[in-house]
Parts: sequence; C-alpha cells; structure tokens
Amino acid sequence: MIKVDNLHKRVPMAGGELEILKGITLEIKSGESVAIVGASGSGKSTLLGLLAGLDDVSSGRVVIDGTELSALDEDARALFRGQRVGFVFQSFQLLPALTALENVMLPLELQGQRQAQRDARTFLERVGLGERMHHYPRQLSGGEQQRVAIARAFAARPDILFADEPTGNLDTATGARVIELLFELNREEATTLVLVTHDLGLAERCETCLRLDSGRLVEEG
Amino acid sequence: MTASRMLVRDWRGGELGILMAALVLAVALVSGISAFTARLQGALEQESHRFLAADRVVRSAEALPESWLEEAAGRGLAVAQTLSFPSMVYVGEEGMVLASVKAVSAAYPLRGVLRYSAEPFGEVREAGAGPGRGEVWLDSRLFPLLGVAIGDSVAVGDAEFRVTAAARTEPDQSASFLSFGPRVLMHYADLAATRVVQPGSRVEYRQLFAGPATVLDAFVDWLEPQLGDRQRLLSVDSAQPRLGRALERAERFLLLAGSLGVVLAGVAIALAARRFSERHTDYVAIMKSLGATAGVIGWLYGRSLLLLGGVATALGCALGWALQAGFFALFADQLPVQPGPSGWRPYGIGTLTALVCLLSFAWPPLRRLSQASPLRVLRRDMPLEQRRSLRDYAVGLLAVTGLMWWYSRDLLLTGAVLAGLGVTVGLGLVLALTLLRGGRLVGMSAGSIWRLALAGLQRRGAANAVQVVIFAMAIMLLLVLVLVRTSLIDTWQTQLPADAPNHFLINIAPEDVQGVEQALRRAEIDSAPLYPMIRGRAMAVNGSELPRRDETEEGPRQREANLTWSEDLPEGNQLLAGEWWPPGSDSAEVSVEEEFAQRMGLTLGDRVTFLVGARSLEATVSSIRAVDWQSFNPNFWLVFPPRLLNDFPATFMTSFHLAAEDKSFLNGFIRDFPTVTVIEMDVVIDQVRGIVDQVSAAVELVLLVILAAGALVLVAGVQASVDARMHESAILRALGAPRRLLLGGLLIEFAALGLFAGLLAVVGAELSVFILQEQAMDLRYAPSPWLWPLGLSAGVLLIGGLGTWSCRRAVSSPPLAVLREL
Repeated sequence: MIKVDNLHKRVPMAGGELEILKGITLEIKSGESVAIVGASGSGKSTLLGLLAGLDDVSSGRVVIDGTELSALDEDARALFRGQRVGFVFQSFQLLPALTALENVMLPLELQGQRQAQRDARTFLERVGLGERMHHYPRQLSGGEQQRVAIARAFAARPDILFADEPTGNLDTATGARVIELLFELNREEATTLVLVTHDLGLAERCETCLRLDSGRLVEEG
Repeated sequence: MTASRMLVRDWRGGELGILMAALVLAVALVSGISAFTARLQGALEQESHRFLAADRVVRSAEALPESWLEEAAGRGLAVAQTLSFPSMVYVGEEGMVLASVKAVSAAYPLRGVLRYSAEPFGEVREAGAGPGRGEVWLDSRLFPLLGVAIGDSVAVGDAEFRVTAAARTEPDQSASFLSFGPRVLMHYADLAATRVVQPGSRVEYRQLFAGPATVLDAFVDWLEPQLGDRQRLLSVDSAQPRLGRALERAERFLLLAGSLGVVLAGVAIALAARRFSERHTDYVAIMKSLGATAGVIGWLYGRSLLLLGGVATALGCALGWALQAGFFALFADQLPVQPGPSGWRPYGIGTLTALVCLLSFAWPPLRRLSQASPLRVLRRDMPLEQRRSLRDYAVGLLAVTGLMWWYSRDLLLTGAVLAGLGVTVGLGLVLALTLLRGGRLVGMSAGSIWRLALAGLQRRGAANAVQVVIFAMAIMLLLVLVLVRTSLIDTWQTQLPADAPNHFLINIAPEDVQGVEQALRRAEIDSAPLYPMIRGRAMAVNGSELPRRDETEEGPRQREANLTWSEDLPEGNQLLAGEWWPPGSDSAEVSVEEEFAQRMGLTLGDRVTFLVGARSLEATVSSIRAVDWQSFNPNFWLVFPPRLLNDFPATFMTSFHLAAEDKSFLNGFIRDFPTVTVIEMDVVIDQVRGIVDQVSAAVELVLLVILAAGALVLVAGVQASVDARMHESAILRALGAPRRLLLGGLLIEFAALGLFAGLLAVVGAELSVFILQEQAMDLRYAPSPWLWPLGLSAGVLLIGGLGTWSCRRAVSSPPLAVLREL
C-alpha cells in the first residue's frame, strides 16, 4: 500500500521558490490501478517521481508497505526501486547500446539474478518480441521499443509499476495495443499500477483516477 | 552485471571509441617517443663512440697487462690495442722527418671508420682494417716531405716498411694540439721489429673495448679497481666534450617533446572522458531507476575503466612500437646509424602514463557520473552535472606535473612548461570571458552571419572559454616545441658554420710569419690572426711551489700550457672577472681561462710563476675569461700583454678554412715551409657536423609526432562541442536557414575561438621558451616576432577549419536525421 501524507515539493527558482506540489495526501491499495491526470505543469510527473522515490520530497511523507521512502537516502531508495518498483516511460528510456534482450536483462543483472537471460527471454516472448531479441532500439519501431520497456519493467517482478505517459510517443492504434499489453501483464502479475496520462480513455480503464491542478489534488474517483 | 560485459556492450554501441582512442594515443605517444628516443640515444651514443674508436678505452704511458684484453675477450667483448709515439721516419740517407707513429692491431677500430686514400691527398675511402704486416700508411704531406711515392720503402727504427696508402683519418684522431707531427700508421705486430719503444720512451698505450652495454658495465666494474695511478679509463664524454654537449641538448629536447606529449595526451583523455560521461548521464539515470546504487555505478564504471585501460595500454604499446619502428624504417636513409634496442622501459612508462591519466583525468568525471539524478528518466531537460570541483583541477595539475617531472627528470624544464601553461590558462579564462561578453554589443549591429556566429559564441560562453584554453594549451605546446627546435638547430649551425676553420698551422717560426701570411693571401685564404705560442710551465702560485703530480689529475699541480699574448681580448672570449689591460701595457699580468683557473685554484690577484725555457716569469692574475671551446678557433688558457712576452722565443699559429677541392694548396705550402706543422681537422669537423645533422633530423621527426598529437587534441576539443552545435544548426535548418549562413556562422565562430587561442598560445609559448632557453637548455633567448603571425594564423586556420569540418554534417544531412541522433 502507498500512503502519501501532506506531500510538498518546492524547487528554487531565479526569483524565489516555485511550489510544484502543495500538500498532497492520498492512498493507493495493493493491486489497485491508478491514473494521475491533469494539465501540463500541474505536477503529475513530479508526483510520480516522488512516489517512485526518484526525487527528494520537500516536506511530507511517502510510505510504501511500511517503508518510509521519503526518509531514505538515494542509495537506499535505489535498492528499494530495484526490488519493488518497475518503470515505463514516455520516451521508452532504453539503452541504445544494448539489444532488446540486454535491456530487459539489465535490472535482473543489477539484482544479481543468475537466470537473468532466461527470465528476460520469457518476458520478451510474452510481449511478442521473441523474434527481435537481438535487435537494437534504433532498429525497432516506437511501439516495439515500448513493449521492450514493458518487458523490462515486469521482468524484475515489481510490486508497483509506475508508467509516465506510456502512450505519449505512440500513434493511437499502437498506443492501444501497448495499453492492452500493460493491463494484461498487470493483471497476470498482480502489480499495483500508477500511471500518469493525458489520455482520458486510458485513465478510465484504471480503477481510480486522481486529478491534479496546480499542484493540488482536486478530484478523486 | 560484470564490468567486462558492460564494456563490450558500450564498445558495440560506439560509446567508448573516443575515450579508447585518446588512451591508445596517449600510451602510443609516450611509449613510442620513449622508445624512439631511447633507440636514437643508443644509436647516437654508438655514433659518438666513433670518436673513441671503441666504447671504452684504457690509456696509459706504460704497457698495459695483456690479461685485461684476455678477460674482456673472454666476456665476449671486442678488443683492440694501439700504441702512439713520436719517431723519426727515414728514407735512405737524407730523408728524415719526425712523425707521430701509431701502431694498431688488426681489429682496430672497434667503432667508426678508418679512412685512407690510394694517393696522397687523393679520394678518401673507408678501410676495413689498418695496414697489414710490413706495411705503413703515411700522412699525405709526408709524401712530398720524404720524397716518396706509393710502393716505396721507409724505415721506422730498425725495420723497413713498404708504403701502401695515404693515411687520412682515424676515428680517435685527437682533436687536441698535443699530437704533433704527421701520422704514420703501422701494424701492432711490427712494433717489436722497430725496437724504438724502450722503457722510458714517450708513448701512449691504449686498450680498446666494445660490446653490449651490460657486458661492458660488468667488465668496467671488474677493471676499475685494478687501474693504477697512471692508467685512465675513457668514455665518450671525456673524449669529445663538444659533441657531448650537443647530444645533451638534443636529449633534453627529446625529453621536453615527450613531456609535452604527456600533457597533450592527458588533455585529450580528460576531454574524451568528459564527453563519455556526459553521454552516459542518461544511462546512469536509467540504471538508477532500475535499482542501481551510486556504489554499484561507481564500481561498474571504475572496473570498466580499468579494463579499458588494460586493453588501451596493450594496443597503445603495440602502436607505439609500430610508430617508432615505422619511423626508423622510413627514415633509415637519413639516419645512417643503427638504432639501438629500446628495452622495456618505454612500455613501462606508457603503462604508468595510462594508469595515471585514467585515475586523474578520466576517473573524476566518471566518478561524478554515479551522482547523476535518476529523475532524468522523467525529465530529460535537467541540466547535466558539469561542475568540476577545484579538487579535479588540482588532481589533474598534480598528475601533469608528476608525469612531466618523472618523464623528463628535470624540475626546471617541468616548471618552465607549467609556467607557460599557467599563464595561458589564466589569461585565457579572463580574456575569453571578457571578449565573449564584449561580442554581445558588437553583435547586435552586425550582419546576419556575424550575428549568428557571435550569438553562438555567447550562448556557450563558459564552454567556449574552456575550449579556447584547451586549444591555446595545445597550440602553445606546439609553438614551444617549434621554437626550441629552431633555436637548437640554429645554435648548432652557428657553432659549426660551413666556413668553420678546419686547418691549423702551428710551429710557424718568427722568420716565416711574413711568408706564411703572403702564401695564404696569394691563395685567397681568409685566416685567423697569427697568434704567438710559447710553451711554458706553471710552477708556483703566490711563491709556493706546486706539486709535480696530482692523484686525481684534476687538482692544482705543475702544468704545461701554451702561452700567448694579445693586445685585445681574443674574439669569442668573454671577460668573467677582473679587467683587460690597457693598450701598450707592460705590467706583469695574465688572463686565465675559467676552467684552468678552477683546476689550478687561481683567483684574481694570485701571483703565478711560469718556467719558459730556462727563464722564469711571474705574473699576477688580472682577469678570468670564458672561452668558447665549441668553436674551432685557436683558444688559449693563458694570455699575457704583448710586451711581457716579447723577449721569449715564440712560434706562431693560425687557423683557416680550406674547402675539399682546394686541398692541393697544402702540397706546395708544405714544400715551401717544411718546418710548419699542418693539422687537418676537416674530416673531424665533418664527422661532428654529420652527427649534428642526424640529431637535427631526429629532432624534426619527434616534432612531427608531437604535431600529430596536438592536432588530435584539437580534434577532441572540437568534438566536445559538436553535439550542441549540430543540434542548434539542425533546428536552424529546420526553420529555413540556408546552408551558407550556417556554414559561415560556424566558420566565424570557430575562427574567433582559434584567434583567441592563438593569441594566448603565443604569450604562453614566449614565456615558456624564455625560461627553457635561459635556464634549462643553456641557449640564448631572443623574442621571435614571426611567432605571432604563426600562432594566430595556426589558431584561425586549424580551429576554424577543423570545427567547420566536424560540424559539416549539420548542414549536409537532413535536419530530422541529425535531431533524431542527438
């Protein structure tokens, strides 16, 4: 379970401070799927970054399954991410020097798993890329790259999957197929899913929808 | 995840190319130059051993033990022996001339070449060995003096010999004036038959040894404890100080070149590592988002770096080896000497350089890589961590200093280069930032290409300032090398001008002075003034008699010397202390050469008593002089006022230059003045000049290698900013900017950077060269006005050309392709 309590994020600016998140409080249950929506600059991605432990909070708490993420240092958060969290990004974030297979193996290797290659192969086959394992990201289409990223996210068997605009860089048809895949795997792996999106259709598929406006949670449902 | 796997993946992805190339270049440069100089030094040393005709020589006035030769031969060294002595050479009843006889064993010379001609003064040829049994070779001028021809017989002592050739030069022909008389060469085994060498005769025995350095050193260790008081071991330095000096300077130049190579390599590595780390920031962010801690990242990159270093070192050593081997193969014709072995040291230096460069230049940016924020996975527009802490610079500076010092083993040389670099960097940052800021005001009213260029300069102000400094450093180091090389070669050429005196006339009797002067004038030979020469012996200082002998041969003792007189300070002499006497002085004064004064323990005001013939003469030391022994002009230890020596019996001497085609002049001259001794130095001078030419060629070669290294640093420097410029150009093109505008803008931008860099480089180079020449190389500094146009135009052309060329893809490829790649 993710518990967020009075979360603030401020960043220094030329003329003073800019407050991006202004006291967010929320709860996400295990296995739940949650969409965070809102206009550009409303603080969606910042909230996602803090939930996932990618950034320091200015004040407030983020607690995941009893672990207070906001009290950990970066190294401890990295370990936590490695064990518990998976990511899917708008710009895919595959390492261009690695093949599809190697990209999926990366988190497993970082965990020191011996079966890294076998598990990675399994997940690439599950996302339908069994034939393209040895291709580099530049040899893959956008949709294929995002499927590699999904395989990578699930291969480490995370408890929570964070997705930042997963269809933002894809056309409608490709985006729809990627979303199908994401929800299918989410179901099969019983993962908590937190995604940031502009796409209201996508948001409606989630059990909960959180709307942000100027750093404040304005709607939940 | 293993480091090797990451390395392989990075390599495949083309990310390691630049860093790898820089490392390989650094190692190749350092090990290549080290090996090159080591081999060249070996070659030159061997070449200079020609002047000894061996690697080591034992000299004595008494017979030397045969057992030494046996021991040396047993250890695998080549051995030979010679014996020199003055003796009369007879032809029939009338012909009789005092000659300097030298008996040589069959193996002589062990180093260098013996030269002869089939006819007196004829065409010079190289001989495989000296005269055979029962034969002699006579000095060319002995033929007219004795009235003999090839095939005639002459007698030395009790033995008769057939004349088979004219002796021209021996490699160890002494360049001193002590061996008078024309040369007669004979076989060592014929000595006994002549019966001229008796106990107490004035002779000089020599044993010659040559072979590999290690064997030789072991033999010398064995030999030295056994040497008696009157037996002296000679090496190259003691045989030819003039040449030793030239070699020493050349060695320093090569070391300097190598040190600059290290600095350039370090800069290239730092640039490449920085670019590598910038390009890897996103990778690290992704890895961190996937759970990698800073420690894991550091460990991973650290091990990758070490692994990379290992591979680069191996490749670099191989390339370095190939570089120097290629040079020697390519320039084999220009370097007639055989290059020596390089040993392992150069490759050890290369390896250590790689390690130091990796730790001090490549590691700091990579270490910081582990601090990259994982938030970049969500926000790619986050600025890169570009802060370079003071500690980074300190580590880099320390590493450069340490490497240079270790490499050159010369603190002064290191300091001079660092001072120049310091000024360049300091001035560079101030000037670059000021000028770049100033550009904003000018730029507003300029035409569109200029505005684009100036805007570009300003947008990357700080990055440009750093780039200007890097370009300036590279150009400065190259200019330093060009400057030092030029003055080094100029100095050698001035010291050994084409018309340097190469013949000496001594023993000119006072009644022959006029005749000799007329004969020289008739032949249109430009000679030095005729100097009087009186043989004298320093007997006592301040009334106390000097010891007859001295154990070390270096301290005060009675010494024979040639005395001369002169109204004025002789040409090429420099007064160090005291004053020169006024014209017409008849006071009892003497001017002493500085080294002679040092050995005799003389200072201004000391009274020295000389014995000239049977008369004694006392004079007070009134001045100390420095003499240019590197010139081939007549030089004297002791000079007196003319009136003081007027009454003493003197002979005269002079020197002049005689071209090879005019040598027949000597035949008639010797007939007309049979008592005058002619010393032919032309072949010796040609030998010295030959070596200096070879050293000059080597200096030029090394300069070329360093120029290549400098060019690579410039390329790396330009590359560092290519991504950003390409990106901007692509956007501008997408917005409709024409090619000409973009190319023009890039050209002006880079040319401006080059101009600033050239300017700074010239200032830094002048400072470095000033310190280097005045302090480290013992050369005289003179400002070089041609450096300014050279430095500035090199900056503009090189940086302008390279920069525009590197960014040419920004205007030649579709903008979308460029934008997608970056």
